[in-house]
Amino acid sequence: MALDPIRLQDEKPPRPAAPGKKWLRVTKAVNGIDTEVWEEVADDTGGPQWGARESMRLVSREVPRVDGPDKVTGRATFSHDVRLPGMVYARVLRSRVPAAKVKLDLEPARKLPGVLAVVELGEGEVRWLGRPIAAVAATTPELAEDGVRAIVVSYEEQGFAVTPEKAAAENAPKVNSRGNVRVLSKNTDTSEIDAALAQAPVRVKGTWKIPVQHHASLESHGVVVDYRGGDEATVYASTQGTFTIPGDAAGRLGLKPNQVTAVVEHMGGGFGSKFGMGIEGEAACLLAKELKRPVHLMLDRSSEFHAAGNRSGGEHEIEAGVGKDGRILAFKARVTRHGGVGQGSGHPLPYIYARDNAVFVEDRCIHTNMDSSRAMRGPGHPQASFSMEGVMDECAYAVGMDLLEFRRINLPEGKRELYMRQLERCAELIGWKAHPHKSAPDRSDAEVKVGIGFAIARWGGGGNGQCKVEVRIAQDGSVEVLSGTQDLGTGTRTYCATIVAEELGLELEAVRARIGRSTFGSANASGGSTTAPSLAPSVKHAAHNARVALFEKVAPLLGATASELEVRPGEIRVAASPSKRIAWKDACAALGPNGLSAQGEWQAHLAGNDIGGAQAAKVSVDTLTGEVKVLEMVAVQDCGLVLNLMAAKSQLQGGMVQALSYGLFEERVVDPDLGLFLNANFEDYKIAGAADIPAMKAVFEDDPRGVIGMSEAAIIPGHSAIANAIHNACGVRLREMPMTADKILMGLAALKKG
Amino acid sequence: MKSFEFIAPRTLDQVVELLPGPRDQKVRDRVKLLAGGQDLLGELKEYLVAPDQVVNLKTVPGLSIFAEQDGRYELGALVTLAELEQSASLRRTHAMVAEAAGAVGSVQIRNQGTVGGNLCQRPRCWYYRHEQAVCIKKGGSECFAYGGLNKYNAILGGGPSYIVHPSDLAPALVAAGATATLKGKKGERTVELERFFTLPSEGAVTRENVLAPDEVLVRVEVPAMAGWTSTYVKFRERSSYDFALAAVALALRMDGGKIAEARLVLGGVAPIPWRCEKAEKALVGRRIDADTCSLAGKLALEGAEPLAHNAYKVPLAQGLVTKALRKLAGT
Repeated sequence: MALDPIRLQDEKPPRPAAPGKKWLRVTKAVNGIDTEVWEEVADDTGGPQWGARESMRLVSREVPRVDGPDKVTGRATFSHDVRLPGMVYARVLRSRVPAAKVKLDLEPARKLPGVLAVVELGEGEVRWLGRPIAAVAATTPELAEDGVRAIVVSYEEQGFAVTPEKAAAENAPKVNSRGNVRVLSKNTDTSEIDAALAQAPVRVKGTWKIPVQHHASLESHGVVVDYRGGDEATVYASTQGTFTIPGDAAGRLGLKPNQVTAVVEHMGGGFGSKFGMGIEGEAACLLAKELKRPVHLMLDRSSEFHAAGNRSGGEHEIEAGVGKDGRILAFKARVTRHGGVGQGSGHPLPYIYARDNAVFVEDRCIHTNMDSSRAMRGPGHPQASFSMEGVMDECAYAVGMDLLEFRRINLPEGKRELYMRQLERCAELIGWKAHPHKSAPDRSDAEVKVGIGFAIARWGGGGNGQCKVEVRIAQDGSVEVLSGTQDLGTGTRTYCATIVAEELGLELEAVRARIGRSTFGSANASGGSTTAPSLAPSVKHAAHNARVALFEKVAPLLGATASELEVRPGEIRVAASPSKRIAWKDACAALGPNGLSAQGEWQAHLAGNDIGGAQAAKVSVDTLTGEVKVLEMVAVQDCGLVLNLMAAKSQLQGGMVQALSYGLFEERVVDPDLGLFLNANFEDYKIAGAADIPAMKAVFEDDPRGVIGMSEAAIIPGHSAIANAIHNACGVRLREMPMTADKILMGLAALKKG
Repeated sequence: MKSFEFIAPRTLDQVVELLPGPRDQKVRDRVKLLAGGQDLLGELKEYLVAPDQVVNLKTVPGLSIFAEQDGRYELGALVTLAELEQSASLRRTHAMVAEAAGAVGSVQIRNQGTVGGNLCQRPRCWYYRHEQAVCIKKGGSECFAYGGLNKYNAILGGGPSYIVHPSDLAPALVAAGATATLKGKKGERTVELERFFTLPSEGAVTRENVLAPDEVLVRVEVPAMAGWTSTYVKFRERSSYDFALAAVALALRMDGGKIAEARLVLGGVAPIPWRCEKAEKALVGRRIDADTCSLAGKLALEGAEPLAHNAYKVPLAQGLVTKALRKLAGT
């Protein structure tokens, strides 16, 4: 039995769709991506269409993001940059121990000059290392830090387990009342799968170890709460869900949600970790409520590592049985998720391949006294990909088969064509044909060896109907598009403007996109790559409605009916007699002082879902030093209509970089005995920099479907392709990330010994 | 960081006056010297030191001197790593020093970081750098790395502390036979740089060098190396910027295809720049071939005692010795 969430995603709709309708697997993202449900939606409302791609001027072209210059020159205002009259700065005090009852004496902090308010957080019990237990507001950040350090904490320390090994040990201190090791799957009877494995002529077995990765957003978590008493507040939040803020904040400020406005003008990365206000946001509200002054509370980097989420680590014990013909006949896995005090996201094994024959997966989690994991870009998938793609190559080598041919055999029927097309394109781009080591690793004595590896990804990326968009045309011809949505860094603001400009025949500069404010139309939180497929169709709809409304006004001036008109750059004309035309400015002048406002909602037929991608990596391994250099990475991805080719490529490349970094460098390091997080900083928590990043090619396939979110698919396969390339290069199979030189050197030494 | 008084003296004498007395070990951290600040700011922000006074050396004239005469160099304590890296003459006469300077951190750090600061910087061990881990380096009783997570720690010269000296410049300057001039309340003294650094088993375990509480490192002098070639080979886990997992400073004087004289110093593997005299001697009279490389690597790492997680440093450092030899052989 495979993991439940996967079955849910792959199930067929309950019945055929009614005429004129279609089934959509709609992602409902709560704190990232949790569930997907089938929704029957109108296939085509007769409303807007994206139209022929070759005729597009702006959509699907390479458009530099409209806020790019502001971001690179520092003009863009992130929450961290907000400065308000009378604003004070806050810092949090974190628990120094993983498990304790705590008593705080706040008075020494309150007595410090410059310290204005101190609040206690939590109920005096700490279950994870670094939990914020108090917050201090002061006139400067430095004084707030002094205040934090002046608080006297009495820790009644309890036993703790900060690593899975310690937590799973006999007589380990209890992390919570549910037990440290929890079996989540129902079926734990392995007799059937063991029998199937026993019959397979070739078997591959191994344990994969996956470290905890951090989101490492450049802008830390936090808010600026502008509350000065009275019945109104504005919260500037670094969040991926504008509309997750007002309700949370109102509760803490003693206001109603409609009295709180959330502002997310720009935000510096979230990757799944920034839904809701968090403890830090609550603290800022409590301080603002007490002081009736604006409070600026952004976490410092150490707090960001300790208390703002992470990607769950895990361990996969896998055994696969393979036939001589290369078919995986049996796949058995025990998945153990490491999500701290949380459960961790599911690691969907078997990942894409090997689902047709005997499959058994036991799913467990081990709790530790560490911060709960949160959703992180493609939750669970990069973890599952790492072990699965490793199993694929190990099996292929075990039966002496070409790595691509082995994949072809073990891909599910319905996905074989897609993935083989993408894999073969990757192979072509990375030079697989000329590569001499296709079915066995290079075992020569060469000092520097080159290998190639492949991996694939799948993602939903469908939209849902949570967005309302407004397009306004003013009498002077200026155009605005408004949505409360936030730009997670994917270029949301840019495609909002692009779609409207395309529809109205305007230059991009003529349309101003206003986003990131909860007083604008509602929008979904950015999780599960659902933003573009939810928002873009709504923007298109609003733009379409605005154009139709404008045509109604203009048609009498041209002696035609609205349906006879068309837009051309800068003008509106009668399609059948182009000499009958009116310049944009003159057309808008006819609108009168009220201008025009049109609304848009989600149009299911303008979105799609269910995507696949393949990536390949070429690496060199220096057998003298263990150095791995990624020489080249390529990605081939489908995602329906590409909204902005430049932004989409940068998402795909960004995903490759983040996966490379995950595979080669990133790892949370915690001392099991001292209970200390040893690398909660950007020196020792290593992240790839420019010098570590190879040449990258990002290719999008022509895909006739509507808009589909793809940014999560981008991060899923890269590290797996690198692991496979390392194995291909030098024969060392690393089943543990990060794949650092020490592991390569020890692996090479073990190979030599035989 | 804790608030402190920021002092900008005008002369070196004023600096020394501000420092504690030569025997005031216990209060030496009450005054900290600021050069490029690349290490000190981290220490302040992490509350590893909380001085009452920070003394800015940049207002003291004369500490930035960078003079060359007949292949000898005088490097003031405030000469930046970028200046060393970019000096064409240094690269010609003492390539390993210029290369080592260029291997430090990032461009920004090299623009700011100084010779004196780089040589006097504190360890990077993550236990030392964690405020809550009161390790032996910080006056505690235990080296947590010894039985803990010691991937980045020492395989040579360790005990009772197992830090590695983080400087890139130090192995290169030691290999060059440089001297350091220190100024204290009683005047100046000059020490061989090799004797400047102290093993935890020799000197005070909470420090890495012989600087007395009243002393400031004012300059380094590098003797001429006519007829020598040299190189610095550093292995970083992350190419973009990182401290060395292991590094090799190698200088050779060749005579008719054979090595006439050699200096070999390892970085990143011991609490001090690790001079490999046995390997140096064994290299004399040999051609640079596979056997020579393997012999030098073997002798250089003789006596290595890896901890639980750093055995890889032995083959790594040996590999780097080979790379350095080959580089100088031009093969």
